[in-house]
Amino acid sequence: MVLTPSIRILLVLGSLLTVAFVLSRIRKSKMQIEDSIFWLAFSAAVILLSLFPEIAFWCSRFLGFEAPINFVFLVIIFLLILKQFYMSIKISQMDNRIRILTQRIALNQESAEREKMDL
Amino acid sequence: MANLLIVIPAYNEEESIQRVVDDLIQHYPQYDYVVINDGSRDRTASICRQRGYHLVDLPVNLGLAGAFQTGLRYAAEHGYDYAIQLDADGQHLPQYIAPMLELAQQGYDIVIGSRFLTVKKPKTLRMMGSYIISWAIRLTTGRAICDPTSGMRLLNRNMIQEFAQNLNYDPEPDTISYLIKNGAKVKEFQVTMKDRVAGQSYLTFMRSIQYMARMGISILLIQWFRKRDQSTPYPERSL
Repeated sequence: MVLTPSIRILLVLGSLLTVAFVLSRIRKSKMQIEDSIFWLAFSAAVILLSLFPEIAFWCSRFLGFEAPINFVFLVIIFLLILKQFYMSIKISQMDNRIRILTQRIALNQESAEREKMDL
Repeated sequence: MANLLIVIPAYNEEESIQRVVDDLIQHYPQYDYVVINDGSRDRTASICRQRGYHLVDLPVNLGLAGAFQTGLRYAAEHGYDYAIQLDADGQHLPQYIAPMLELAQQGYDIVIGSRFLTVKKPKTLRMMGSYIISWAIRLTTGRAICDPTSGMRLLNRNMIQEFAQNLNYDPEPDTISYLIKNGAKVKEFQVTMKDRVAGQSYLTFMRSIQYMARMGISILLIQWFRKRDQSTPYPERSL
């Protein structure tokens, strides 16, 4: 299967919607700029592949795929898995921070209570 | 005398923090200061405690933006009129605080301690990023900011409030560009900076590419879509 015009239009529309959504989140101060960079770059990559299907065509022939669309899907899956991996690391770090913060608060409270009892 | 707070974010600065703060205490007693220890893994916090410095000790590492914002919340809660960021590695010289403060009192919102206002910016690889960011800010705001990556920035009371309570107000060039576009009055003042003597920079070489991508996309694209909201987003936490 080649990249049909309908698939290309769908990919472009989906990407533009993603960009619009991300920018509106930033506008409403609901998202950090760091976290938006990935989605903007991802959308740009998908739009690039849709507007210039030759890229997918060359790459799929070079890598020996049956159809260019498979290359497009592979790129999208790869980028999403990469993002998933980094998110996993980030969640681990956040988990760790929450643990440290919780312990800090509890220890502070304990020492405050003991000071009160000593007085 | 306007009251000014010197915010000193410190991450693993055990070798230089004492020199920097002792110099402030000895030669600049007219200014208040606060050290924000950003979850350092070395003896930064214990040195500060031992010597009785004003210290806010963050239990986890927040990064420069989070540490600086902590200092600004401290400034806002204690009613300071001005706040300036001074790096703990000693590269920012406190002798320039007085003239920068004078400029702020003339009505500027942000005064940047700039290395390249009257001095030519060297054409080195290290400065390439600075050139690109200056160009991006010029393109989007029409204003020339000669040293956008300088960390030595003095903020007035309005800016302290705004930086202290909002998301996406990192002390970085993209915030400067966004604020200029939204009518903030920004002024540069020529300073010289020392090379760092000890410790390591927040910005490692690996991170510079990431930093540049972020700044480029942020200044050229994202800042157009932001809406400046000067009312407090969290009324229950208003400072």
